[in-house]
Amino acid sequence: MTTISAAQKRNSRRAKKKTAVPYSKQVRGKDYFWVYLFLTPFVVLYLGFTIWPLFATVIYSFFEWDGIKPLEDFVGLENFVTIAKDPLFWLSFRNTLVFALVNTAVKIPLSLLMAILLTRKWLWGKRFFRTVYFAPLVIPVAMAGLIFSLLLHPANGAVNDMLVSAGLVAKPIDFLGDERLALLSLILVSVWQIFGQYMIYWMAALQNVPEDLYEAAELDGANEWAKLIYVTLPVIKPVAVVIVFLAFVNALRVFGLVVTMTGGGPGFQTYVVPYFIYTQALVDFPFRYGYASAAAVLFGATVLLAVMLQGHFVRRSGE
Amino acid sequence: MVHSLSVNQLQRIEAFVNKILRNRYNRYNLIAAGLLLIIGFIWIYPFLWVLFASFKTSSEMFSAGAKLLPETWDFENFSRAWTKANFSAYFLNTVLYAVSATAIELVKSSMCGYALGRYRFPGRNLILGLITATLFIPIAAIILPQFQLVRSLGLLNTRAGVILALSGGAGALYVLLFTGFFQTLPDELFESARLDGASFFQTFRLMLPLSKPIIATVVIFQFMRTWNEFNIPLVFTLGRPELRNMAVGMYAFRGEFSVDWTGFAAGTAISIIPVLLVFFIFQGYFVRGLSGAVKQ
Repeated sequence: MTTISAAQKRNSRRAKKKTAVPYSKQVRGKDYFWVYLFLTPFVVLYLGFTIWPLFATVIYSFFEWDGIKPLEDFVGLENFVTIAKDPLFWLSFRNTLVFALVNTAVKIPLSLLMAILLTRKWLWGKRFFRTVYFAPLVIPVAMAGLIFSLLLHPANGAVNDMLVSAGLVAKPIDFLGDERLALLSLILVSVWQIFGQYMIYWMAALQNVPEDLYEAAELDGANEWAKLIYVTLPVIKPVAVVIVFLAFVNALRVFGLVVTMTGGGPGFQTYVVPYFIYTQALVDFPFRYGYASAAAVLFGATVLLAVMLQGHFVRRSGE
Repeated sequence: MVHSLSVNQLQRIEAFVNKILRNRYNRYNLIAAGLLLIIGFIWIYPFLWVLFASFKTSSEMFSAGAKLLPETWDFENFSRAWTKANFSAYFLNTVLYAVSATAIELVKSSMCGYALGRYRFPGRNLILGLITATLFIPIAAIILPQFQLVRSLGLLNTRAGVILALSGGAGALYVLLFTGFFQTLPDELFESARLDGASFFQTFRLMLPLSKPIIATVVIFQFMRTWNEFNIPLVFTLGRPELRNMAVGMYAFRGEFSVDWTGFAAGTAISIIPVLLVFFIFQGYFVRGLSGAVKQ
């Protein structure tokens, strides 16, 4: 008798605890096995390729290490002290942030405008134009970099040929060799390359604006501009926040363009953090794995902080 | 020859033009489509330049400046890029990497998203919380340990290693998309499947096709990402050039073949035309799939 009542008590307690979970969402019997089996492939790879690397990067950053020998030369915070005084790291850091901010500030509004235009019902040749503006995305980013290093070449590049023969400049511009222009050139080429992706994001967001809202606005006498400000933008705002986040964080990954277009030059003027990490750990001899890891830790922590702050302010403004 | 048109004909042309202009959408179109054409030409000028450069001789390529059309059409660049420069191998590698990484991604993220969205179980909130927290970690911050992991598995400088690295690190966003989708499916659907005696796996097979918009989104995103990826193939094939994908292979092109730029142009043309065709044909699904995902 006592065992039955204990079981009943346990059951009733469990029932009380789970009242919030609908019956069909509860896991029963051998379904437990299936649920955990279904989780396994993702979770294993996720632990291996995301969670463990996070911890490992932090651990490596406390060692003087070339990535090959056993990990035994513990140096404490020395890597961080050195990096705090490394002008090349801070230059890379600044360049990465400038790149990501300007890149996002240019591509987000432009791609939104284009998406609005290319989703108008009355527009001729939508399919053709969408393909045209999407096209740069299908070139691997490194190839785009090489093509532009030819097009922007000061001696015989097509862009300078046009500018000079149109009489816009007196002598060719060295877009990638000039200290002040190199980073800007990278930013604009990157906008050109990635534009289509954000155009598609916006087009997807715009598709979810209910058509009857526009009809109602039209009845109230709204023109295209008013419809944009008072109907489209408020409706897509939640998605827009996510798109801007993605845009910024993806821009922080800049690597291929730098490798193929400038190699960090002229001098070190276009070094960015991913390129800094790559050269320190795997290219420049002697390999400084621990040092590069310290750079990664500092960079990752800053990005995370920036994203969290941004998220905080977005949530606040939404309330 | 305007003067050869009769007055009657002129009037008819004028009436036709007026009829077009009277519709305000036609007026919009003349401006918008005109602008889009001009900007569009500038936009794809680099493509046209590469396409035509692939038919030029290398001396002409450098002397032509902004001029597009070649003086003599030279088809030899294509055969040289395809065979001598190892381009066919790079192309096949790229296809292999992109297809397998996408397939792996689809399988693991749909399974995980199904379990997370459909059921409540211990550990669920922990997994979801971790995924969300790590969503915005830049890859540069964690690529070095990934490199160590692949090396300690003995897979450095192998195709399997590249595929593993491409599909291992991604996917948190895709899991969240699938979770969101399966969460919104009505309980009655699962209930009736259960009453029909469907097992866990059978139910999954019934529900999976419903998530087509998410599947489309994941396939498109992951395929584009892996097709264009440069950092991972570069780092993971440093010791074996023949395993490179096109992006890395083309980059090496300029070092190893004393800058065979016309060959490079031909290789680029070969690689982008098929993808552009695919987009031109399937772009409708592309946008619809994505907006289906956004709605969740």
